[in-house]
Amino acid sequence: MKKALVAALLILAAIPLLLAVSELPPHGSASNATYTHVSAYYLEHGAEEAGAENIITDVILNYRGFDTNGEVTVIFTALAAVLAVLLLGDASTATEDKPSHSVSVVVSFIVRLLAPFIAMFAVYVIINGHISPGGGFQGGTILGALAIVLTLVLGEDEARRLLPERPKPWLQAAAPLTFIGIGLAGLTDTGFYLGFPTAEALSWIRTMWLLAIEIGIGVGGAAIIASIFWTMEAER
Amino acid sequence: MIEALWVNLDYAASVVLFLIGLYAVIAKDNLIKKFMGLNIMETAIFAFIVALGVVDGGDAPIMGEGARAPFTNPIPQALILTGIVVAVSTTALALSLIIRIYRQCGTIEADELREME
Amino acid sequence: MVSWPHWIIVAIIMPMAGAVLTPIVSRKNDKAAPVWALFIMSLTSLAALFLIVRVAQEGPFSYLVGGWARPYGIELHFDEFSASIGIICLIGWLALLFSYHYVAESIPKPRIPYYYTLVLLNLTGMIGFVMTGDLFNLYVFMEILSLSAYALVAVSGERVAEMAAFKYLVMGAVSSLIILFSIGLLYAVTGSLNMADISTRLAGIESRLPVMLALAGMAMALMVKAAIFPLHIWLPDAHAIAPSPVSAILSGLVVKTGVFGLLRVYQIFYGAGTYELAGLNTTLIWLGAISIIMGAFFAIFQEDIKMMLAYSTISNVGYIVMGLGLASQYGIIGATVHIFNHALIKATLFLGAGALMYKTGYRTLTDLRGVGKAMPLTSMAMSIGAISIVGIPPTAGFLCKWYIALGAFQAGQPAFGFALVFGALFIFIYYIRMVNSFYFQPPTHPEILEVGEAPVSMLFPVLLLAALCLVMGILGRIPLSFIEPAVTRMLGG
Repeated sequence: MKKALVAALLILAAIPLLLAVSELPPHGSASNATYTHVSAYYLEHGAEEAGAENIITDVILNYRGFDTNGEVTVIFTALAAVLAVLLLGDASTATEDKPSHSVSVVVSFIVRLLAPFIAMFAVYVIINGHISPGGGFQGGTILGALAIVLTLVLGEDEARRLLPERPKPWLQAAAPLTFIGIGLAGLTDTGFYLGFPTAEALSWIRTMWLLAIEIGIGVGGAAIIASIFWTMEAER
Repeated sequence: MIEALWVNLDYAASVVLFLIGLYAVIAKDNLIKKFMGLNIMETAIFAFIVALGVVDGGDAPIMGEGARAPFTNPIPQALILTGIVVAVSTTALALSLIIRIYRQCGTIEADELREME
Repeated sequence: MVSWPHWIIVAIIMPMAGAVLTPIVSRKNDKAAPVWALFIMSLTSLAALFLIVRVAQEGPFSYLVGGWARPYGIELHFDEFSASIGIICLIGWLALLFSYHYVAESIPKPRIPYYYTLVLLNLTGMIGFVMTGDLFNLYVFMEILSLSAYALVAVSGERVAEMAAFKYLVMGAVSSLIILFSIGLLYAVTGSLNMADISTRLAGIESRLPVMLALAGMAMALMVKAAIFPLHIWLPDAHAIAPSPVSAILSGLVVKTGVFGLLRVYQIFYGAGTYELAGLNTTLIWLGAISIIMGAFFAIFQEDIKMMLAYSTISNVGYIVMGLGLASQYGIIGATVHIFNHALIKATLFLGAGALMYKTGYRTLTDLRGVGKAMPLTSMAMSIGAISIVGIPPTAGFLCKWYIALGAFQAGQPAFGFALVFGALFIFIYYIRMVNSFYFQPPTHPEILEVGEAPVSMLFPVLLLAALCLVMGILGRIPLSFIEPAVTRMLGG
């Protein structure tokens, strides 16, 4: 009964929504406002003035870099939130009755075999983000996924050694800290937070800064994804 | 109107997907299913915004050798990268909460949880 | 000093950097986290002070992040409304101070550093939210503050808290998605994300329907965040069960970001000039009025003191939204100043309630009978808060409610002016109940008379806030005249 009512209400709500989207500018037309206003400027000038051939990277890290600065803070918030929700006073509760892993030898062998290649691919994606599809988030996710796969195969204790205790909090905070660092460097250099050097001859510095941010995001993202997974695993 | 809707079929599909997700959020009792509904809604919106950036015959906006106009709009893609990260973060927190609720109550069915209160 | 342009960015990245460094700072020493957080917020408050002085001297100003000209980069825009960063810093600072003893006892030890991290992130989100001039950037900051708020509700680890947090998360996430959808619609028709730019470009848009849908979507989603009556169901549990300093932040500040978002939406659409906003205004007035009455009505039946305060928040946000919907000079001025005053008052009450719970261990009005003799200072502060929230002169609540009532007459809708007075009567009833049980009823638990006042770190914020409630009653004209030019500019288009 309740479900039918909800469905009926949502079908009713669909009518104005569909009417509104049918009035949007036609899909895929090059004369839309979305295409002629801000993005036209990016496409025209992005490659020269923002430091990367991949315009999406320019938008993410340079033109709208402040958004990404907030975004890496969001993912750090997720880590802090998961830890604040899951960590417990007594460590004894979780570890006792956990089923031990029994992974087939074949799977285990293949994963170990592939691990270095996956890691290399992740690094490739991170450092090539400015000239090809990819970037810090994508590469960081691959690294994080690698950590998760290794945890499943090797068991938690082995895998946790990938992220030593001492540098762990620094690595988790790497993305926002790199952003703030580069932002402040830009502030002293150009007078604007997250400003990149504008001179023609300094385009390599722009690229270096983009690369530094990509690496920061990649390392930080991977550390955060792995930590979130381990925290959940411990509570399972 | 039907004709205009046909041109904007991508947007219409996103709207339908959005409402399906909303249905799951409201009508499902299982907390995980509720949350999957939320993920469907997220995907719908991402698809909508990415579709805004499509240009007919457009190429990936990567300059350099061999690049040829027209390029697709880079902004929606950049925005959605941010959106995806936000969605992942929300998912992580929601799953942690579900884990904790399951540990403490032994169930994740909303109607059973309501009885326990 | 004041005119140094970078204070605005310092105000955002200072708490942001402070938050991500908190787990590192407190790794060796647990006690370091609160001290560090307080230190960071002190510096942030300093930046906020300079910003407010600057906006008072020279009016609104912008900051271009990365040096990209509008609309190509992200613009931070600081106007008189953004001066609410002052109240964010004040309440945030006092709540952190209050947390020092409170949190050490009420949440599991390994979570404590992350508690402070989340509070700082929450404040970062709000500070960014009120200062940004870019619609998508607004969404990003909104997510920082929402995500940290969900987690802060659940941080105590009680079963009910986690369920309340999940409910809050689902409603909050759905409303965030609706906002993102609306941003997408606005982007589709204007091709821009900068608020001022959208505002100018909206004037020339032919297809009105998507724009109206975006307006409706944003208004609805922000009303979820602001907990307006039919959309309020997440609020009472979340605000009542969260640790008290968190309740103070949630009720005093986080709920207001919804209202603040509405203000920004209004700025965009008033700026565009050609849109008929009467429908939205009427909806807001009616929902505001219903929220006032229903919030107050439910509050009367609450035994739990924090539950009562949570419902009272719903009715007070009703006042603010009604003031906005009236769309008259007085109404909007009253509403914006009530954002500020209600934050002060509700923080007093929630922190006071936290102090009572900390010392006595009880949280219902029956159990707390007679506490007025045991903890005279805290009880007095809470009574001042109660008088303020009813709106009895000369306290902080009076002037802004008076302005909203004037706004109702100015807008030619005197009936709502009376609804407001009627709501105040309801509110009067339940706060009388609270004061009555504190002072005039024999204690249910005789041992309650033995407890003393809370430690200074808890007593000081409560007393300071109560004193501010009185001071703002007397100096109430200052914020009113401070905000006036911004409102005139907004309504003038």
